[in-house]
Amino acid sequence: MTPPREPLADDSAAAATPTEDRGAARAAAARADRRGLLSAIAGAGAALLVIAGAFVVFYSEQSYRTVKIQQADAQTRILASTVTAALAFDDRKAAQEYVNALAVDPQVQVAAVYDASGTLFAAYARSPATAPPSTVAAPGARVEDGALIVVAPVQQASATTGWVYERSVLEPISRRIERYAVIGLLVSMAALILLLLAVAQNRLARANDTLAGQRQALAEANRSLLAQIAQREQAETALRQAQKMEAIGQLTGGIAHDFNNFLQVIQGNLQLLERRGVGGDDTQRMIRAAIRSAERASTLTRRLLAFARRQPLNPVPIDVNKLIVATSELLRGTLGEKVTIETALAGGLWRVAADPNQLENALLNLAVNARDAMPDGGKLRIETANAHLDAASSAGDALPGPYVVIAVSDQGTGMTKETREQAFEPFFTTKDVGKGSGLGLSQVYGFIKQSGGYAKIDSEPGVGTTVTLYLPRLAESPDATPGAADARPPLRGREDVVILAVEDDADVRAHSVALLRELGYAVLEAADGAAALDVLHRHPDVQLLFTDVGLPGGLNGRELADEARRRRPRLRVLFTSGYARDAIVHHGRLDPGVDLLAKPFTFEALAAKVREIVDRAP
Amino acid sequence: MSWNAAAEGPVRASEQAVKAAYLHKLAPFIEWPAAAFGPPDEPITLCVVGADPVSALVDDAGGSVPRSGERGVRVRHLSANDSEAGCHILYIGTPGAAAVALLDRARGKSILTVTDAAPPGSRRGIVNFVVRDNRVRFEIDTDAAAQSRLAISSKLLNLAVRDGAP
Repeated sequence: MTPPREPLADDSAAAATPTEDRGAARAAAARADRRGLLSAIAGAGAALLVIAGAFVVFYSEQSYRTVKIQQADAQTRILASTVTAALAFDDRKAAQEYVNALAVDPQVQVAAVYDASGTLFAAYARSPATAPPSTVAAPGARVEDGALIVVAPVQQASATTGWVYERSVLEPISRRIERYAVIGLLVSMAALILLLLAVAQNRLARANDTLAGQRQALAEANRSLLAQIAQREQAETALRQAQKMEAIGQLTGGIAHDFNNFLQVIQGNLQLLERRGVGGDDTQRMIRAAIRSAERASTLTRRLLAFARRQPLNPVPIDVNKLIVATSELLRGTLGEKVTIETALAGGLWRVAADPNQLENALLNLAVNARDAMPDGGKLRIETANAHLDAASSAGDALPGPYVVIAVSDQGTGMTKETREQAFEPFFTTKDVGKGSGLGLSQVYGFIKQSGGYAKIDSEPGVGTTVTLYLPRLAESPDATPGAADARPPLRGREDVVILAVEDDADVRAHSVALLRELGYAVLEAADGAAALDVLHRHPDVQLLFTDVGLPGGLNGRELADEARRRRPRLRVLFTSGYARDAIVHHGRLDPGVDLLAKPFTFEALAAKVREIVDRAP
Repeated sequence: MSWNAAAEGPVRASEQAVKAAYLHKLAPFIEWPAAAFGPPDEPITLCVVGADPVSALVDDAGGSVPRSGERGVRVRHLSANDSEAGCHILYIGTPGAAAVALLDRARGKSILTVTDAAPPGSRRGIVNFVVRDNRVRFEIDTDAAAQSRLAISSKLLNLAVRDGAP
């Protein structure tokens, strides 16, 4: 069998997507890492800047103090060395001049000279509030109340002859803060710029990522769109094909139906003529030839109806494997010496509901085609399998669900695409004139469709052809009714059985009545439903109602039968119809308990069917 | 004549003591040429001429005055006719012909001559004590100092009063 094929685009898309996704995820992660690293570097840089700024401020503050102390120390030393003579010679005036000289430094608040005993000798105070201590303070440099105090000894040789005191203001903290604020501002701005750059870079990277993501999504969307387009095209092709087949089916069905009625009359009358032995041998020969032609014509219309899905089917539960085994002998005969047959039948095959005769026909038709495709011999292979069609694989007109698959393959010449597309159409044939009817594959197609399945052809020129039939699985307990014993009932009718034949076409009715009488039955007739009910009322001995399904005048065959049985429950009914799309046939299947004789029927078929019904236990 | 006759009593005594101390204190602000000393640790010799009140106090003043440098100061008492040789500082408290002669002799030598209240126009030492505002000050004759090849510290010069100025 050939597994249901998925669109290639889907496969490649499905195969490509995960790896691409993984790759994209890796790339995205790497990009995110880079972004994180960048942010960290920027943050660290900004922090470093701030720390450096703080360090600069701290260092500047420290060095400022050191410088101030050094400065004050130098000043006091200078004063101390210059004031030695003034101290030695007790010259307060001179000492005062020296001390006053320090006033040029605006930061010096107080400058004082003490003699060796520590008593104030000369002093300068910038404001009265900042008077120098009356006795000398401890020597050294220190900061007190935001002021720098330096006390240094006045030394002459190695002797201390007095003390110098200086009190100077450090630059006010507000001034220093102002100074440092400039540094702080610069540092903050630098850090801010760094952070802004990082943020901008980050944004850019993110935007790039988004773009990459969008591009990928776009590519994804494009891929799925292409896949959808391919699927859509396939579906449309399948739909077009189905519609074409439907149209052809309706056309052929209509023509075949009318033909059937004509053939019924021709065939019936010819058979009567034959049975009655009219004329001489020549005449009988001609009659028989006419009958053969009519039969062939009848076969033809039957197959047309089969394609049009208007043949009445009698579906029963079938084990397809069994049917194939039973048919293989017939197939072997058909295939001839040069073609071998090979079967691969799946175990545990589901059962299907199908008309076994038609399925046999279908297999036979496929075998004939395979044989004709392999003029030099080859192998015909029949496979069966269970298959589940899902929504994706059931392209075309097939419904998803469980199916039994029958695949018939040959190693023949194969078909081109064009041939393949037309192969199911009736009267389409590649065979020589007179060799093929062009109805084989169309029978297969019509039968399978009517049975709720679908058929498809896979073929390649020079390689071979595989026709795959999908029949829906029968949801039913196994072994319900494998065809009952087929004992042929005696042909002859019984005089005591009264049959009412209802048919609107006078010719057909006359023909039917003639056949039934020929069989030995007592026959009454009516042209429509109302007349039939009237006859039934007047003749309570009628046992079988033989009615056409399509009747004029308000009551169709089905309604007539229902009404008649309502009045006479034991009345038996045999429908006849040339047209399966009728009241008694639903979805191509006969309702249970309904007997139908398809038009055109043969004398033998009529005899057998009527006898079967009459003999059936009530 | 006595140019310091106006000062009498304890004030005068205190004034003499200050002058005696000043004689000691001058030394650190004076720089003698190396030739003025023999060995490097030779003390500065302060020679006091005559027997005026300052002369009597100089010995005591040495104790109350901080030692001047490494050398130290030693005091020599001279009479007016004694040789000035070996003196680094020569105090001539009493005016007179002998004093003038001594000053003349010392001129040009590396000796810091000190006089007490020598009036303007008279012979004076390189340093001349005067009293201003009831305080003992001094005048410095920088020319004479230069002649004597003595470097006088600017600190000391700053304290000096000008000739005739207060």
